[in-house]
Amino acid sequence: MTTLLPHSTITQRPSGLRPLSVLLLLSLTGLAACSSPPPDRELQAAELSITNAEKARVADYASPELGEARNKLTAARAAVSEGDMEDAKRLAEQARVNADLATAKAAAAKAAVVNTEMQDSTETLKTEMDRNQGGTL
Amino acid sequence: MNSFMLDDRKLMVTALAALLMVACTSAPRDPEAIGQLRRDLTELQSDPQLASKAPVAIADAEKAVVAAEKPQADAEQEAQLIYIADRKVKIAHAQAESRKLEDQRTALGKEREAARLDSRTQEADTAHQLARDLQQEIDDLNAKPTDRGLVVTLGDVLFDNASSTLKPGAQDKLSKLSAFLIKHQDRSIVIEGHTDSVGTEDNNAALSQRRADSVASFLTGQGITRERLTSSGKGEGFPVVGNETAAGRQQNRRVEVIIVGAMTRVE
Repeated sequence: MTTLLPHSTITQRPSGLRPLSVLLLLSLTGLAACSSPPPDRELQAAELSITNAEKARVADYASPELGEARNKLTAARAAVSEGDMEDAKRLAEQARVNADLATAKAAAAKAAVVNTEMQDSTETLKTEMDRNQGGTL
Repeated sequence: MNSFMLDDRKLMVTALAALLMVACTSAPRDPEAIGQLRRDLTELQSDPQLASKAPVAIADAEKAVVAAEKPQADAEQEAQLIYIADRKVKIAHAQAESRKLEDQRTALGKEREAARLDSRTQEADTAHQLARDLQQEIDDLNAKPTDRGLVVTLGDVLFDNASSTLKPGAQDKLSKLSAFLIKHQDRSIVIEGHTDSVGTEDNNAALSQRRADSVASFLTGQGITRERLTSSGKGEGFPVVGNETAAGRQQNRRVEVIIVGAMTRVE
């Protein structure tokens, strides 16, 4: 992680280095941490996860999470255009996990619907049987 | 910092560096959120119904929680790791729940099949029971299957000699028949009167017709509609045995009721 670099630089500092050079180095690494290229990988991953969620017709079952994912992706793109790449990366990562959660929740909800239908049809059969039994006796 | 020894330029650099450091230094950690994450994950991992269902997602969640538990210099990064870990725990939970539900389907399918089978068995049993009941009623009527249908032979018990008025005891004999017809509305009957060969043929034909009509009107009195009843006097022309003996003539004096309907014979 880039944020850990200042510490490691300090621990590996050769004893003969002058304080000014250390300070310069520190400020340079600090600057580098806050100005990186756009987080393309994270953005793409978020887009893919959202596409997958949409394909799985998640909107029917887990729309809050999918909505959150879309909002985060929009915010990530805005952060890129404002030059805040760290923020963009974080937002893209958040978008991705929200989309993945939407997909997972939708799958669970669908599975529950199928199971309930199966249980209902069994119950219907049993109820019919009880009624028939009552009718013939 | 030992800034007393430095000149203005160095001071500026120091200030800038310090500012950058401060911007990236951690705010107080959020032990409550991290503790909650760990508890949620542990709950999932110790749920015997779920723990084994989504091993990959649970391992992924475990990794994310461990990462969130590590102290971070950057507060935003810490919040980010907590956020990601929270979603990953939830994803693992949802995936495990899905698998659990899918696994339950085998049992649910078997239950439904069993219920279907029971239902069909019951239907068959019901049909058999109905058939048995009907057979019992037919047996009670003493109805015999013939090529004309089920035939109930009412012997020489309904009428006095040469009379077409039903004897008091005859009504008991006919009440079973009317009960059967009330229960089975889809059946109709043909009532045939028969005599022995004593007397003239014309008289016998007329007498047998009047007797058949008497039976028919008794049944309409019991609530059977006239359309379901046909009465005819066959006279002496259809003896079942010879008329030479008294016993033979008694057998030939009879009313035959032919039950017409969908089913003439059971099984």
